[in-house]
Amino acid sequence: MNQLLYQTSWWVPLYGLVGAILTLPWSVGLVKRTGPRPAAYINILMTVLALIHTALVLWAVWDAPPDRLLIPWLSLPGFELWITFLTSRISVGAAFVITLLSLMAQVFALGYMEKDWALARFYGLMGFFESAMTGLALSDSLFLSYALLEMLTLSTYLLVGFWYAQPLVVGAARDAFLTKRVGDLLLLMGVVTLSNLAGSLDFTHLALWAEQVELSPLTANLLGIALLAGPTGKCAQFPLNLWLDEAMEGPNPASILRNSVVVACGAYVLIRLQPVLALSPLALEILLILGALTAVGSSLVAIAQIDIKRALCHSTSAYLGLVFLAVGTQQDELALMLLLTHGIAKALLFMSLGSVILTASTQDLTELGGLGSRMPATTLAYAVGAVSMLGLLPLGCFWAMLAWAETVWTTTPWLVGILLVVNGLTAFNLVRVFVLVFGGQPQPKTRRAPEVGWLMAVPMVSLTIIALLLPLLLRQWQILPTWAQFNPTVLLLLLGAGGLGAGLGGWIYLSPGISKPVDLVWPSVREGLAYDFRIEQLYQITVVQGVVQGARLTAWFDRYVVDGLVNFVGVVSIFSGESLKYTVSGQSRNYLLTLFLALFLALTVIGWGYWGSGF
Amino acid sequence: MVLATPPSTHPLAEILTRLEQGGALLPESPDNLLEVVGILKSYGHVLDAYQRNLNYIAEHQFLVLFPFFKYFNGEVTLQKLLKHWWHDRINYEFAEYCMKAMFWHGGTALDNYLDSPEFQQRVEKILQVKLRGNVIMGSLNRLFPEFLPEQVRLLSYYSALGQFWDVMSRMFLVLSDRYDHGEINSIKDVVDHIREGLVTAAAQPITYAVMVADQRYEIIPKSAGLQFLMDTAVPYVEAVFFRSFPFFGTVSYNAQAHQISAEQADFNYGVLYADPLPVGGAGIPPTLLMQDMLHYLPDYLQEIYLRGSRRQDDFRVKICLSFQKSMFCVTTAAIQGLAPYPLDTADPTQQQTNRRYLEQWLDRMVNSRLPSLN
Amino acid sequence: MLSVLIWAPALGALLITCLPQATSGVRARQISLVIASLVLLWSIYLAGQFDLSNPGMQFAEALPWIENLGLSYRLGIDGLSMPLVLVNSLLVWIALFSSDPQISRPRLYYALMLILGSAVAAAFLAENLLLFFIFYEVELIPLYLIIAIWGGARRGYAATKFLIYTAFSGVLILAAFFGLSVLSGTSSFDYDLLQQQTLPLTVQLVLLITLLIGFGIKIPIVPLHTWLPDAHVEAPTPASVLLAGVLLKLGTYGLLRFGLGLFPEAWRVIAPGLAVLAAISVLYGSFAAIAQTDMKKIVAYSSVGHMGYILLAAAAATPLSLLGAIIQMVSHGLISALLFLAVGVVYAKTGTRDINQLRGLLSPERGLPVIGSLMIVGAMASAGIPGMMGFIAEFIVYRSSFEVFPVQTLLSMVGTGLTAVYFLIMINKTFFGRLPETLANLPRVRWQDRLPGVIVTLLIIWLGIQPNWMTRWSEATATAMGQGRMQHYSTVQPLSETVLSKIAPASQGS
Repeated sequence: MNQLLYQTSWWVPLYGLVGAILTLPWSVGLVKRTGPRPAAYINILMTVLALIHTALVLWAVWDAPPDRLLIPWLSLPGFELWITFLTSRISVGAAFVITLLSLMAQVFALGYMEKDWALARFYGLMGFFESAMTGLALSDSLFLSYALLEMLTLSTYLLVGFWYAQPLVVGAARDAFLTKRVGDLLLLMGVVTLSNLAGSLDFTHLALWAEQVELSPLTANLLGIALLAGPTGKCAQFPLNLWLDEAMEGPNPASILRNSVVVACGAYVLIRLQPVLALSPLALEILLILGALTAVGSSLVAIAQIDIKRALCHSTSAYLGLVFLAVGTQQDELALMLLLTHGIAKALLFMSLGSVILTASTQDLTELGGLGSRMPATTLAYAVGAVSMLGLLPLGCFWAMLAWAETVWTTTPWLVGILLVVNGLTAFNLVRVFVLVFGGQPQPKTRRAPEVGWLMAVPMVSLTIIALLLPLLLRQWQILPTWAQFNPTVLLLLLGAGGLGAGLGGWIYLSPGISKPVDLVWPSVREGLAYDFRIEQLYQITVVQGVVQGARLTAWFDRYVVDGLVNFVGVVSIFSGESLKYTVSGQSRNYLLTLFLALFLALTVIGWGYWGSGF
Repeated sequence: MVLATPPSTHPLAEILTRLEQGGALLPESPDNLLEVVGILKSYGHVLDAYQRNLNYIAEHQFLVLFPFFKYFNGEVTLQKLLKHWWHDRINYEFAEYCMKAMFWHGGTALDNYLDSPEFQQRVEKILQVKLRGNVIMGSLNRLFPEFLPEQVRLLSYYSALGQFWDVMSRMFLVLSDRYDHGEINSIKDVVDHIREGLVTAAAQPITYAVMVADQRYEIIPKSAGLQFLMDTAVPYVEAVFFRSFPFFGTVSYNAQAHQISAEQADFNYGVLYADPLPVGGAGIPPTLLMQDMLHYLPDYLQEIYLRGSRRQDDFRVKICLSFQKSMFCVTTAAIQGLAPYPLDTADPTQQQTNRRYLEQWLDRMVNSRLPSLN
Repeated sequence: MLSVLIWAPALGALLITCLPQATSGVRARQISLVIASLVLLWSIYLAGQFDLSNPGMQFAEALPWIENLGLSYRLGIDGLSMPLVLVNSLLVWIALFSSDPQISRPRLYYALMLILGSAVAAAFLAENLLLFFIFYEVELIPLYLIIAIWGGARRGYAATKFLIYTAFSGVLILAAFFGLSVLSGTSSFDYDLLQQQTLPLTVQLVLLITLLIGFGIKIPIVPLHTWLPDAHVEAPTPASVLLAGVLLKLGTYGLLRFGLGLFPEAWRVIAPGLAVLAAISVLYGSFAAIAQTDMKKIVAYSSVGHMGYILLAAAAATPLSLLGAIIQMVSHGLISALLFLAVGVVYAKTGTRDINQLRGLLSPERGLPVIGSLMIVGAMASAGIPGMMGFIAEFIVYRSSFEVFPVQTLLSMVGTGLTAVYFLIMINKTFFGRLPETLANLPRVRWQDRLPGVIVTLLIIWLGIQPNWMTRWSEATATAMGQGRMQHYSTVQPLSETVLSKIAPASQGS
């Protein structure tokens, strides 16, 4: 039984894929008289099957040692590619979390997107999304992981571009794709290099190889940076972070997944690559610097946002920055725990936002307010999600942060400082959003705010319960250290930072005496933060300008130098003028005549050759 | 008839003149007539289904937390379930969408009533009965005191719109029958028919009562004084024809982009404004209505549609175009019905007042689809 | 057996020209499609009979022709030509299927298309250098005429430019062939004999560079490429499909077969330079594509870039890289065919290919949503998104070339990123956004407009998921070529058994 379950673990990604394929009759318009909802039901059903299957495999592997599943894929002279899956507690657990969140997002979407006639396309893409992510969780091959990351890039493009007729979506989808592609491209360079250096692309082999190999510092550093680039793009880390902000133009159910598990996929690959990254001290340093910059920077940017989705998506970047720091300090287990706790909390927050947006028809924080007493499921989901994000009350992220601070406290204390700053700023931001959305008096757009229907409420409530139970589960799995092991200083610092942020947020936004928007800093600084440190302009003057000018120059060169030279010789124009007279006017016979003339010419040439060889 | 007032300088002066002379917003033409009557017939059938369901939900799904079968109108059979899952059904979601637009935009007597102490008391009484013995819901109600009353307000709108559409669907079906009998021969006849219908039903009371624990409880009593024309028809035109909600598929909700006005009164996403070309695409809710009407198109309308270069490929866009034409006729009827003085008055001061009244309406239509239909 | 691939379409062309003048385009198209289907089925049958473990020529046919000249009718097929022949047969069918039945002068058009397919197949099959050259030249004429007669507004200019460039290419190739034959003292042009040549390296180099310029025009290698965008822009869609899909491959095929195959030592000398040229082609083509506004030009410049990958892999000349080169040929053939098919439908329905005029074509009711989806698939396949064959082909190319030319390979890889840039610009501008009023009344798209694209798409995805199906044809040959000990294993069939002997007994006399 267990053996069978191991061997079928590679089916898990297939469910989503099959679901996606089955939506085609609706999404390409073969079915026109009836609506697209069967496509949605099929996908949900497939996800349920995937969830059951994953749960069974998880049960089977729970107490078993990790096992690898090898499927030969491509065998070429001197080069073999295997599709390798790893069934371990972690990998199957990750697949389980992904499938679970995917199921919830899909059920949520049944309500959120109920009036969207392109439902089939949406669910097809969600199935594809889920399939790529579960594959990534189970993959033990860098090659497969790279391939799946690229598929994620593609499906992000298509999901962000779902409402393709909306003007801002057009740019957002493009930027999401290209930004991720920059990272992916460098990653591909790393993969190709690694494939040549190490021979095998399996993570298991790579780890063994990395232990023994001696690389020149230059090679090791370049390789490390290339491998780092992919996850940097995927996890929306500085400087490849802007796409996540723009991706908020996409449908909210996709944002739920994007902010919880999709960004985590990049970090997951990074964790698997850790042994290779460790070859390059420079890459690890860059990892730490990027992580720290993003963690603090994005937390600040989040506070300056007036759009609810954006106020939270920047904090996703910040938390992934913390994950980067954990990987950089070789704390893989902690990185994974942070990914799990953050993922569940963020998914919950985004579900709550989805129901706010649908109810109030606005995402503008300045137009929201007073929803608290009318929308119990939404309010509770937000509150629990927010608390689970923070190091304040003993829910999800608190434990991850505490354990994290605990481990770096002795080795690299400055990282604890970063953690405290992020915790404090995030607490401030989440309380700010909570007060603005759920507290205060109803505004015109929130005056009539009935709680959303059961299709959206059920996933929200279920996930709220899961988030509340998560610490118990973590304890059950003995991932958490016991109280006795905690350093009280660290604990107090963490609680202090969280409490300070939350208290300050509550005080500023709850007290009626302070005018809103609050002038905490100079307007220019606020503007800079609201527009993400003007990174977009940075892209403009560097990469975009580079490509545009390069393209212009090449096109000019092509037209006036390369082609101009040809035309200058004039041969073409003379011939075209002459031959036109024969070719345009006549009957078919003329053309056949031309044809035979040409053949005759060719034969004459051969005849010349005959003559030539005769001597 | 010679008008005493000078020609208007309004951007839609031509249409204004036509209105003053008793015409409609939509110009007279045989094609327009055919399209309007045909689409209203189909719309009548769809509205009938919508109103049945809205009324059913208001009365029989009162505060049901998990209304799995709310679109089944009480008739749950396996066959119906399978058809439902195959999405071979009316898209009742669209009726709820229109209802929510009315509810959200508010600003009428019904809206005021729902905030009144009287309503509050009635709801409390019902909740006491309804929540008796239900600890979870009871404590939820104490923790979130506005949660259930807000749901009851929503259900009141379910009922109100259901009652409005009940009248309208019958009106449109009768129109179609009269057309088939040769009694309707021009756009003007169509407008007259609708206006007469609205005027006849104008004073019909809007009420709402539910059965809880085998006892009938009034939520909107007759004494609240809510009437068909002013409390459902007029807010309906305002919320659905003019304002509605921005479509996800065409407008960005990004707060920093400021594409959506902060003032609900500035919203112009309603049926008179909506761009018909994207219909059928992603994030365009009216597609649901067009799809529903697709199933009830009369043959003569189908034939017209099939003449287009895309044949049946773009039915929903064509239906939307026809539907907008017909809704301009309904709007005309409302304009005529609400005019301060009869439009054919000879009194110059009354004419002046009428003109100001008409210009106010037309001001809102400058950016609508109307200019493109003339 | 192989002769069928050449003479069936040629005779079919003859048949179509002999039809009465009044024959409708529909009928001409049907007949040509039947012939193309037979050829396609025959190619598939041959593929089924193909011995995968044999790296040399199979199904060989030999017939003396002009012995004095060294010209003999010798055909054979190996792992290098097999996939290309299959792609050719498929794309000829696709091109015919996507041709407009209402086209003017249908008999001539369909006859020329068949001749084109026949000549290309013959060039891939020829095992005699002169024979290859003849078909290489013959193939120009139908394409020239197709562009000149059924092309766009500047068809005369484009057709002539195409003709002059490729005729020049032919002259250089012929010169190299003669030089080889004369200098090596062989009186024959048979490939296997010439392979044994032992010329001094300098002479080899001169000949190889002559060949390189000759085939370089065809591939095309920057800066010899300017005929290509013009030809594509003016050519009717089916001709563009064939031009990008198979005709360009004649260049890379020639380079591999005759350049690498005949001058392995000299090849090693010029390989680093070739790899640099490849990287330049990739980057130049990609950058030029970004600046274009005509959809066809974007795809055409993209071809310049993506043919560069084949050159890169060819330069590396390891067993794996040669396999990569072959797969990239197939991959580019199918992907560019798909892109041109989609652009063709867009042009046919909207009357423009200008990305600044087109918008919102994904609109489900009034736009071209399925064509848009196919275009997205094609663009993503071209940009190397996994799950489609473009990825695995390019991955093998990178993986194998990196061993030999790491810097050039990394530079070429940037081209993948740039591919995403120009195709995304194109897709976002033409398919996303709101459909403008000017495009609100487009004609209907029928399933037969979509079918060719759908078939190619399915192939691209299938071979992307299951690349074994593609690599296995060429593995043995690529290995043999890469190890520089390409031998001739072919077993010559007696003439009496070949189909040719039944069809054209008279030709024995010459």
